[in-house]
Amino acid sequence: MPKENILFKFIRSLIEKIKIKKHEYIMATIEIVLSALIGFLVAGIVLYVMGYDPGEVFYIMFNYGFNDPEYLCGKAVPLIMTGLAFSIPALAGVFNIGGESQLYWGAFIGLITTYYVTQYTGIGTLGTIIGILAGILAGAAWALLIAVLRVYRGINEVITAIMLNWISYFMIIYLIIKFFTNPVIPHQSIEVPEKASLTPYPGFAIAIVGTLIVYYLLYYTDIGYKMRVSGLSPASAKYAGFDPSKAILSSMIIGGGSAGLGGSLLILAISHNIDTTMSTIYGLGFTGIGVGLLGRNHPIGIIFSALFFAGLLIGGQWVELKTGAPPMLSDAIMGIIVIALSAPYAYRLLMNYLSRLRKR
Amino acid sequence: MSREEIAVEMRNIHKIYPDGVVALKGVDFIVKKGEIHGLLGENGAGKTTLMRILYGEIKPTKGEIKIFGERVKFSGPWDAIRKGIGMVYQHFTLVPTFTVKENLFLSLLSINPKATIDEAIEKAKQVSKQTGLRIPFDRVIEELPVGVQQRVEIIKSLIREAKILILDEPTSVLTPVETKDLFQALLKLKQQGITIIFITHKLKEVKEITDRVTVLRRGQVVGTVETSKVTEKDLARMMVEREVLFKLEKKPAKPGREVLVVKDLEVYDDRGLPAVKGVTLTVREGEILGLAGVQGNGQKELAEAIAGMRPVASGKIIIDDIDVTQLSAFERYKLGLAYVPDSRKVGLIYEMNIVENVALTNLYRIISKKSRRMKWGVAEKIASEVISKLEVVAPSLSTPIKYLSGGNQQKVMVGREIVREPRAFVVSEPTQGLDVAATEFIRKTLIRLRDEGKAILLISTDLDEILQLSDRIAVIYEGKIMAVGKPEEFTLERLGLLMGGVHA
Repeated sequence: MPKENILFKFIRSLIEKIKIKKHEYIMATIEIVLSALIGFLVAGIVLYVMGYDPGEVFYIMFNYGFNDPEYLCGKAVPLIMTGLAFSIPALAGVFNIGGESQLYWGAFIGLITTYYVTQYTGIGTLGTIIGILAGILAGAAWALLIAVLRVYRGINEVITAIMLNWISYFMIIYLIIKFFTNPVIPHQSIEVPEKASLTPYPGFAIAIVGTLIVYYLLYYTDIGYKMRVSGLSPASAKYAGFDPSKAILSSMIIGGGSAGLGGSLLILAISHNIDTTMSTIYGLGFTGIGVGLLGRNHPIGIIFSALFFAGLLIGGQWVELKTGAPPMLSDAIMGIIVIALSAPYAYRLLMNYLSRLRKR
Repeated sequence: MSREEIAVEMRNIHKIYPDGVVALKGVDFIVKKGEIHGLLGENGAGKTTLMRILYGEIKPTKGEIKIFGERVKFSGPWDAIRKGIGMVYQHFTLVPTFTVKENLFLSLLSINPKATIDEAIEKAKQVSKQTGLRIPFDRVIEELPVGVQQRVEIIKSLIREAKILILDEPTSVLTPVETKDLFQALLKLKQQGITIIFITHKLKEVKEITDRVTVLRRGQVVGTVETSKVTEKDLARMMVEREVLFKLEKKPAKPGREVLVVKDLEVYDDRGLPAVKGVTLTVREGEILGLAGVQGNGQKELAEAIAGMRPVASGKIIIDDIDVTQLSAFERYKLGLAYVPDSRKVGLIYEMNIVENVALTNLYRIISKKSRRMKWGVAEKIASEVISKLEVVAPSLSTPIKYLSGGNQQKVMVGREIVREPRAFVVSEPTQGLDVAATEFIRKTLIRLRDEGKAILLISTDLDEILQLSDRIAVIYEGKIMAVGKPEEFTLERLGLLMGGVHA
């Protein structure tokens, strides 16, 4: 019975893994618990100093943040994908800060493709599918641009990504205002046709499937193996006979594709349009960096960390509503908690990156 | 000898590193004022350790140091610099994006915080005039040739009023013309009463430039002699003489057909300078060819070129009658080549587990051609084979390699090559840093492989290893093969001479 065999083997290897890395897991748990404590303590002090009751704020944040599963899952969809957009290249040793603009392009191209395909064919499902694929391709292409400049021209990917983020931001605003405004609501883009749009749950399901595919690529194919080897030790990659810069290219394609998928799912399942101030899609890529770090750059970890982030974001909105605290305050609280939780891991990652930069 | 005549007096210096490695065992080292004193020895003889102690970089475990008769205890190089000691490393300590004068200014600041850049230039010009070492003040360091950078490095020490100058293998980075210039400058410095300690392994240079020479071997002084009174042969003997260690039992080799052929190979190093200059070698089935030589004479570049990690400038590499010169490492491994690099940092990925590490050079067996899937089941099988064949001690296959001991790591690195039954085997420093038991195990394994008919190219800076294992020996010096022959054709003295660049 090969099926059972595989399952049995998988569970056995999992138990074995936990046994061997017991020490590491215990340390990681202690690290997370300590970080959370420090985070909440500091956030509590900030709240107290600002004149709010920390207990009440945290209660609202966690109670209201996580009590509407459909809203929570929808909010988590783009965060899962931008988390992956940061983490996949990070595994190959590249800092992809460009998840932000890769998501923009995924959203924008996804939107207009779905719109026109649905209009011309009249088949909503076809519009959805082609829209999703076009979004993935757009995100991947935009990320590839960064990777190509890094690999063939030696330009630091962080700088390119930051600049491309702003170029994309204004370009998309321009394109929407110039060509794709909603004739009825002028501060919005055209809408995703109703028969092509999705609800949050299917969107979340597609995001999960995407994440599992990424997980498979990373740990069960040569593409992922080569990426991980290149990220940990470029010299070993050369020794094994493959080119670490190719791994950079493929990691950015997969990472950018993830962000692009996040963008198209956001449009199809959640916002259904882009407003001309970009307020619905701005910042998701940057938050994704935190999601990736908190998820320890692991696809499965990223799903949970995205849900956690989504909950905090929603909870933060409720805090505003209930206590009248300015939105910046709940953002700051969220920031403090996230920094505390991801700082130890981010520090290790950064040190690794810097030492490699110096060798280069 | 009166006190004033002695510049450096190091007495009974011992150095035991925290990991238990004994680097120096009671070294007495005396340098007279105003002489050029050579410090000669093989890799690991303790030359660099001794000089790092003198420069205050590391502290001796035991021993006494006097500079110009005054007893000193350095807590860091800054103390040594104030006592007039200057050091020129093999790898320069200049800021590559700064100009020459900025670098000079920076070094002057470390002893005099109030110094100005004009002062630095003034001093440097003076020194430059006295020594004939000309440097361009306004050029950026990284644009300058290595020889000029070295001059800046020397002048940097001199403007800090160094009386004792330590040069660590200064000619290893220089062209012959640059070497000549350097030697002229050193002679001028000597005339001005500056004491120079010249670390090297090149016998010819010792004869050419030094007044006296101290030979180190395995952390002990073999002797200090006047250079004019000894021949290169004497020096070579002093450097390499040893009791022959336990002989490994081995049957006479039965060499078969040629498996690995290297023809007129030329390869550049990382800086783009020629490192391998026309090497031709042949390794036959069932023999071990030992490539002896002092570190940094092109061995690494040669090995990497054979493995396909480094581009070949000209020449050919042939494995089993197939010209592989243009093939990637991956394809060469598939054709039956195996390479064990000299550094575990290259060969192993510390964060990954044993299976993932074993997969690294066995990829062509593990990747499914159709779906590009990693067949981890196959990788696990190979890994278990490595573990059982090489007697690796590890808690399990999914243990990250960083948790294994150095010996076990090395066994994994060698073992994953052995189990894929390569025909040609290039092994670089296979026992570096291993304990006696692990060393013996790896050496016996290499002999077993030879008996099984593999062609083995053993690259090692450890002469014992070369002598114990090789069926034929080749000596490399500055990227060229000095001699190839049966072990019987080489006396220790001849090996020492060849490794030091003297034809014998």
